Amino acid sequence: MSERRLYTLKKESLNAVLEIWNQQTPVYVPSGREKDITLQPMDEAQRTEDYINLTLPVKEMVFEQKEALFSWERGESGIQVENLAHRHAGNRILYGVRACDTYGIAYTDRFYLKEFLDPNYQSRRETVTIVAVNCLRAGKHCFCTSVGTGVFSTIGHDLALTELEEKYLVEVATEKGQDLIDAAAKWFAPAVSQLLQDKETLRQQVEESFPLKMDLTNLWDDMARTFDADFWLDEAHACIGCTGCTNVCPTCTCFNVVEEKQQEDRGERVRYWDSCQSDHFTRNAEHHNPRDAVSRVRYRIYDKLKYIEERFGYKGCSGCGRCTDVCPTYISIIDIIHAMQQTVREQATEPAVHQMTAMRHEIFDREINSRRGLYAPDVATITRMKQETPEIKRMFVKYDDPSLHEHYQHKGQFFQVTVFGEGEVPLSIPYGPEQQDELVFDFKNVGSVTEVLYQMQPGDKIGLRGPYGRGFPYETLKGRNLVFVGSGVAMAPLRTVLEPVLQHREDFGRVEIMASALRYEKLIYKEEMKAWSQVAGVTVHYALKDPTDEVKAHNGYVNDLLPGLNLEWQNTTALVCASPSRIKKVAKDLMTLGMKPSDILVTLETHMRCGAGKCGHCKVGSHYMCVDGPVFTYEEMMTLPPEY
Amino acid sequence: MTNSIDEVSDADLILVIGSNTTEQHPLVGTRIFEALEKGAQLYVVDPRKIRLTDFAHAYAPIEPGTNLAFINAMIQVIIEEDLVDQHFIETRTENYEAVKASVAHCTPEWAAPITRLSAETIRQFARTYAKTDKAMILFTMGVTQQTTGVKSIRALANLAMMTNHVGRPSTGINPLRGQNNVQGAGDMAALPNYLPGYQWPEWPETKERFSKVWGDFSCLRGNNIIQMFDLMDEGIMKAMYIVGENPVLSDPDQTHTIHALEKIPFLVVQDIFLTETARYADVVLPAASFLERDGTYTNTERRVQLIRKVIEPVGDCKPDWVIINEIMKRIGMTVDYESPAQVMDEINLLVDSYGGITHERIQEVGLQWPCPTKDHPGTPILHVGEFKRGKGLFTVNDWELIGDQRSEAFPFILTTGRVTHHYHTGTMTRKIWTLDREYPKGFVEIHPKDAADLGIREHQEVRITSARGTITAPAMITDRINEKTVFIPFHFAEIPVNRLTGRNLDPIINIPALKVSAVRIEVAS
Repeated sequence: MSERRLYTLKKESLNAVLEIWNQQTPVYVPSGREKDITLQPMDEAQRTEDYINLTLPVKEMVFEQKEALFSWERGESGIQVENLAHRHAGNRILYGVRACDTYGIAYTDRFYLKEFLDPNYQSRRETVTIVAVNCLRAGKHCFCTSVGTGVFSTIGHDLALTELEEKYLVEVATEKGQDLIDAAAKWFAPAVSQLLQDKETLRQQVEESFPLKMDLTNLWDDMARTFDADFWLDEAHACIGCTGCTNVCPTCTCFNVVEEKQQEDRGERVRYWDSCQSDHFTRNAEHHNPRDAVSRVRYRIYDKLKYIEERFGYKGCSGCGRCTDVCPTYISIIDIIHAMQQTVREQATEPAVHQMTAMRHEIFDREINSRRGLYAPDVATITRMKQETPEIKRMFVKYDDPSLHEHYQHKGQFFQVTVFGEGEVPLSIPYGPEQQDELVFDFKNVGSVTEVLYQMQPGDKIGLRGPYGRGFPYETLKGRNLVFVGSGVAMAPLRTVLEPVLQHREDFGRVEIMASALRYEKLIYKEEMKAWSQVAGVTVHYALKDPTDEVKAHNGYVNDLLPGLNLEWQNTTALVCASPSRIKKVAKDLMTLGMKPSDILVTLETHMRCGAGKCGHCKVGSHYMCVDGPVFTYEEMMTLPPEY
Repeated sequence: MTNSIDEVSDADLILVIGSNTTEQHPLVGTRIFEALEKGAQLYVVDPRKIRLTDFAHAYAPIEPGTNLAFINAMIQVIIEEDLVDQHFIETRTENYEAVKASVAHCTPEWAAPITRLSAETIRQFARTYAKTDKAMILFTMGVTQQTTGVKSIRALANLAMMTNHVGRPSTGINPLRGQNNVQGAGDMAALPNYLPGYQWPEWPETKERFSKVWGDFSCLRGNNIIQMFDLMDEGIMKAMYIVGENPVLSDPDQTHTIHALEKIPFLVVQDIFLTETARYADVVLPAASFLERDGTYTNTERRVQLIRKVIEPVGDCKPDWVIINEIMKRIGMTVDYESPAQVMDEINLLVDSYGGITHERIQEVGLQWPCPTKDHPGTPILHVGEFKRGKGLFTVNDWELIGDQRSEAFPFILTTGRVTHHYHTGTMTRKIWTLDREYPKGFVEIHPKDAADLGIREHQEVRITSARGTITAPAMITDRINEKTVFIPFHFAEIPVNRLTGRNLDPIINIPALKVSAVRIEVAS
């Protein structure tokens, strides 16, 4: 809309207007008392005007606590998958929303509707019309005026009402809002823009009445200087991981995906709100957790005050204060901001390196092959299974719909592989672009999903989503020497690029493949490596803890072998896949030999779930490993907070 | 609780003994944080460095099972240093002199080797507690589940009375009940030795009062749960009806418990899920969950609160009171209860402390008993001005060491408890992904020094053996537990720690000493 249309509505006419709207579309109004205010259908509940804010942000209407993603059913002709994104309550008008929540909606719109479009959110959001009613008083922990998201709604609403004595000033923000006006036209009178001046005067009065005022001008600098401050330990000691703070947050978007198996031959995949404040949010099957108690508590604060804004340009905290209201141990984002400011005032500390740099990745806007929406997988059939090592199997699969192979584009680094009724795991693509008619995966039996996958036979059906992730930059490797460093199963992600390199051997310099493991038996691609070592200019090195008779191997770490390679290091690119601590050790030695950190490529295989930067599990700082990575340069890796 | 939850925020000293408050009673924990904000002091006694210790002004890492020696020594210091409230003792209590004589030898130096605390720590606790006006004691199973459980609580009562910490706001001795309605269940005589309202069956007026409403009925004392399982094992008890309890995981000496359940000719289990115990039942009665029924719960501060049905019972399940109603009918009794409110009418008639608590009055906010009449506002603080029995009775509680002790064969003490995200035997919480994900399996906490001595690595499977049995659990190495002490949560059927705990009972009320078992630790091969 080009101009913001203005109307007035007499206060005594409000009920009549709500009744008219409600005849067409259910109107949800604030109901309840004191701290227990919920949006309820006006047919069923008594509307109240005596409230500071809704107990839960209005977000719960567009991103529900539990949503079905898709259903699957095994029949005669295979597995049928149906997208359930559209299964919800339908059209609703949400009346009485405050500025902190409309701002939250503006952010969640940005988050869910761009790049990988979230079909569930889109479907719900389209059916919702939001009528904001501006606040005239502050709650105990309200600080929207400090972050700049309030006190009056400026974004995210369709209509905004401001109480000016005996009438409401009604501002139309969208076509949906205008439709509401038109539906009850006789009650709305066009208003003169002079009233905007009255509104501004009122806004200033209300803002001045806010008890909590913070100057956040230097916030990011303060944060950079207090990343390792002592007060975080107190916060971590206090937190019991109840996740109340994230459950009431208007900008929390994370979710977990759960299989709800209804019968042996059918079920649904659903998502629930999840919380970075639960310890297991980032813990993997083998106990590794990139976040400890301190970084867990600190992450939420940094995400809200910095990472979200850094990435998406919206405030990650709308200042509603709910997290502080609900915390049973009095962890307060407000107190923490004060603690940051006080700490910086009292002691000069250097800013943390990873909080200073503004590494920005182009956010990938990749087309998703699936016609069923982001979260519904395409069905594929296992054609072959091969025992690669005692613990690793290789699986060959074909899409049931052959046209998917025709349109397959080899970009990205991994697929999300579904075992229907069990769950989904990210698996790297160990093959290059030449592999057109089937897909190949190597996997180890480590968790509940891979355990079932491990037992599967040719003819069994699985689901595939992808490919996702940023892969290795194949083109930029041309003309250079390449050192591949992979430990155990970690050679699989490297094969994505190794395969085309070997196909076009002439385009590259020397190729050194460094395979490490505890024992020879633990290595994958044993036969392939023997074959590769026969190719001119390709050498395969083994670093094993236990001696073997199978190949000539160094007994020790892979690092020991690096100096002996005698490469022209300035013209070399290293591709490293290992644990973060091993990556650091290898990179350090390579840099001592003369390599630049930007020539060392690493893959950070973290807790990737949705593959599309939505579920939040693999977020490190302001980056999503599944979208921005998992491949990074070592230089980039060093600018991430050390939580991977 | 003698006092109320909100009073915790106004206390000047909070003495937490044997309670992991922030993890097990987080909303009471909230009040502790409020008090700390206002400048209160926090003193913690626990063999584990629980979260609260990070905020404590004093912490006593006590040897499990020795609370009584610690409390008696505190009392000795307070008497020795003349920190008692003589006026309160003279006007409100009796039998003080006997206690004074009995603790004369209980100096901090005497208690130090027993409790493995320094004498100075004991003195500090005693002095601060006696000198602080608003001092509140919070405790839970860390005090009760010991062979000296009853004596320890009586000793806490001595401590509170002699320092005038009873019957005033933000004082008292306050057991935090471990379940939402354990107070209510006790009030309604889900106990073998009382009729509702703690009325002794032997009192003639009790029988008369109840007969008027119930007609003629057998008015005999029953057996407690430990005795019942013995009687089952001996073949004397022929049938058992278990409602909402999972003794296979929660009772001591699991092997014995299972043996008894297998042996009994007829077992009925009523629960919301098929529990480990229900698997042994001849008949399982599906009960409705808290969301599927109306009624009341009585919480830890004696507040009777209304609950309302949110959804209709799923499938064939029914609210407990309906099931019991139906069984009464089938065994030929005349019952005409039609709603929980009607049951409450009868409670009003028979239990004085509930006399004025009707569903009508607690629609919005619950009432705290005693609330004898329909116009009584309820009682936030007990024993104001006068004790229920008239004068407060000091009791002699001599320290004795009974039950499991460290030995060459079993050099460690095992203590049990819970984690934040699970409740009791996990019947409900282990079925919820978000809670179960947080703690998908059990563990054994062991001190780094002990782990090093025994060659135990983090997450390694460890075998734990007591005189009763053996289990294995992955090690969680942490300095948050005392040396030579291990902790295992009892939520997990896969790691049934109660296979190790024994039937060492408190001799007075037979509560099992679940918090103290002697064990041996080794790497599981």
